[in-house]
Amino acid sequence: MIRYLRMFRAFASTEFQFEMEYRANMYLSIFEMLLVIGTSIGAVLIMFGHTTTMNGWTLPQMIVLLGVYYVIQGGVSLLFSPSFERLMEHVRVGTLDFHLLKPVNTQFLVSTRHLKVIRGADLLLGLAVVIVGLVQVGEQVGIAQALMFALSLIFGWALVYSLLLGLVTLSFWFVRVENLLAIFWAFTEAGRFPVDVYPLWLRVSLSTVVPIGIAVTAPANVIAGRMDWVAVAVLGAGTVLTVGIASALWRWGLKSYTGASA
Amino acid sequence: MIRIYRQLLVAQIQAAAQYRIQAVLWMLFSIIRPVIFLAAWTAVSNAQGGSVGGYTTSDFAAYYIALTIVGHLTTAWNSFEFEFEVRQGRLSPKLLRPLHPLHYSVVENLIWKVTTFLPLMLVCAVIALTFQVKWTGEWWHLVLFVPSIILAAALSFMIGWVVATATFWLQRINTVNTLLQRTSFIFAGQIAPLSLMPTALQVISYSLPFAYVLAIPAEILRGGVTIERGLLYLVGQAVWLTLAIVAYRFAWRAGLREYSAVGA
Amino acid sequence: METPVVDVRALRKVYRVTERETGLAATFRSFVKRRYREVLAVDGITFRIDPGEVVGFLGPNGAGKTTTLKMLSGLLHPTGGEATVLGHVPWRREGDFLRGMTLLMGNRSQLVWDIPAADSFLVLKEIYAVPAAQYKRTLDELTELLELQPLLHKPVRGLSLGERMKVEFAAGLLHSPGVAFLDEPTLGLDISMQGRIRRFVAEYNQRSGATILLTSHYMDDVVALCRRVIVIHHGVLLYDGALADLAERMAPYKRITVTLRGDVGDLAAFGDVVSSTENTATIHVPRTQAGERTARLVRELGDQLADISVEDPPIEEVIDKVFTSERPLAEATA
Repeated sequence: MIRYLRMFRAFASTEFQFEMEYRANMYLSIFEMLLVIGTSIGAVLIMFGHTTTMNGWTLPQMIVLLGVYYVIQGGVSLLFSPSFERLMEHVRVGTLDFHLLKPVNTQFLVSTRHLKVIRGADLLLGLAVVIVGLVQVGEQVGIAQALMFALSLIFGWALVYSLLLGLVTLSFWFVRVENLLAIFWAFTEAGRFPVDVYPLWLRVSLSTVVPIGIAVTAPANVIAGRMDWVAVAVLGAGTVLTVGIASALWRWGLKSYTGASA
Repeated sequence: MIRIYRQLLVAQIQAAAQYRIQAVLWMLFSIIRPVIFLAAWTAVSNAQGGSVGGYTTSDFAAYYIALTIVGHLTTAWNSFEFEFEVRQGRLSPKLLRPLHPLHYSVVENLIWKVTTFLPLMLVCAVIALTFQVKWTGEWWHLVLFVPSIILAAALSFMIGWVVATATFWLQRINTVNTLLQRTSFIFAGQIAPLSLMPTALQVISYSLPFAYVLAIPAEILRGGVTIERGLLYLVGQAVWLTLAIVAYRFAWRAGLREYSAVGA
Repeated sequence: METPVVDVRALRKVYRVTERETGLAATFRSFVKRRYREVLAVDGITFRIDPGEVVGFLGPNGAGKTTTLKMLSGLLHPTGGEATVLGHVPWRREGDFLRGMTLLMGNRSQLVWDIPAADSFLVLKEIYAVPAAQYKRTLDELTELLELQPLLHKPVRGLSLGERMKVEFAAGLLHSPGVAFLDEPTLGLDISMQGRIRRFVAEYNQRSGATILLTSHYMDDVVALCRRVIVIHHGVLLYDGALADLAERMAPYKRITVTLRGDVGDLAAFGDVVSSTENTATIHVPRTQAGERTARLVRELGDQLADISVEDPPIEEVIDKVFTSERPLAEATA
């Protein structure tokens, strides 16, 4: 375990050093993110200029939701998608072999080898938005709630991770998986609003196939007091199951790549 | 010129055939955002007893479907593509030919819109059914829509080109693109129909070209304008298009000078 | 006999390749039912390698060399047969196995392009859990042997092909593996860089005692480094033994090239004339009689003879003969 942490630290520090070389790019990225988050908040404010609730959600709760949206987005763009994008190229070019030669669990390598450290700023900005929303919500957020919030965030990340892993595993069999990933990114837009405002078919797909809906709405629901321990536990169970399935799929894909008999 | 366009069309259609699937997928991007906001506004409208500021739930649906169609037909990606081409060194060969590089992207743009139009209408039909839309327009709305959408598409295209020329000085225009996208997000009627925005923001919206690309044709299409208003809007679009073309010529010439100074 | 480092028995690999004809109808058909073709890449090869050996794997493109290496490094599962490397079954990919070996692929890069090599090395150090002191020692030694000093802190992107190869080599050897599989290590390099890499491999083998198995279709690689050579063609092992013996077995002749002052006459009496121009001729003579024939040529041609040279046949010729023989030769005893 310690070894994996040390490896991860090595990955992160080399990536960070590289990005620091391009200072200007980093500042621009942060500026862009501020712009994006700012305008998104603006959009929510405009909507709530006409109403006090949306499907039962108040403005402060919406702000929290928006913050969670950017926290999840930031987390995924920070850690998993850079590595997965490279993975698809590796499979195409044949350099995946190098990962296979290492005495490390391949799934770990393939998921964490590359980071985009600057996206950590997105995550932090999202967190800031969440805090602003929390302040607006006013009531005290208890320890239990905070814990459930953190847990559901982790579950949300894990769900999105599983989906990405599943998609990327497909590149063992199909060459043009980028298209599927593009669909995924298109759907993630939908996470900016609570999943319950969408028509049934969209709600279902955003909670299962493209779990961004549930990943973002669940933690926000915790803050809004609409999710209790049981719900969080169910979410957790579902997450563990999903991660398990995605990992099994990955192992299967890897076996097929190396020509192992099933 | 017609002959050149015909040849370009033939060549580009063959190239585009390779990317059929991606083309349709890209169309998804045009649809997702309006649908999301439609769902949100529907929730707001329901919370307010069925209408907000003169827009019933059905009106919202009509508006956003119209916005989807307009958004799709005015899509222009030349600012991204141009930056890519310059970085790859593919601009110079184009400059050597006696055809302005702009024309290649016109053809590409048109082909994509034509090939994805049918799938788009299909999806819009599905959305219309889901949200139970009723169209409240008149026949002349559709008549007005034709010049409006053409002007809007041309305007969007030219704005894209003006931004693209920034590449000559900045090389990486990612931030400029984001700036543009976010400004359009606020002021082009994507967040809300223009009349539902706070007054100050409405004024800004009408003073910027973005609303003339999206919100205005959408309003015309959904039947939400009077004849006088509609014609006024068309004039506004034409004015902005002219400004954009002038700005473009200026920027292009200056940009080329910069490009050759740096060593094309 | 010590326990072999690499022990291969009847190793076999069959690839399944989907077949697609062109045309619209065929495209539709392929959606419903896929047609497969079986490609036999490696057809039951057997050999053993002892610790410290440097063995060359020779064969034309598509012979099955790379497939064999991939099986021995654990990247591919064989269709049949067995193999152990360092006492492990490679495709089980156990930690100890992976830490004890390395596979270097000449035309592919494992380093991250945008960062200096030194940084990639640090990552590898963690991945292989190399203790700090050992890492420093190994890195210093590799830096000295490969002259890496000026290269380590520049982004890999900015290095020339030869420089990148050297750095990739170092990356593959940082964890001091006991076995190194080198797949076409000098591919694409210029002559002087090829020589440098060859010298490095020889030196490394000397210093560390690592067992080295290298594939190449450059004869010079094999001649420079390997006393023992394994020849593969069409997935079949054609020869396994000393390189010198191979030459003697397949090409038991010597090549005499004469240059005359006047016209070349009929030299058939001296041996097998394989080529001639106005003033020169190349004659193949049996090895054992090379000395005698040379003396005769000198005597009988007298001052007509401007120049004479006696050589072994070029090794390419020898290998070519092995390839075209297509049947395995009996193993030459060391």
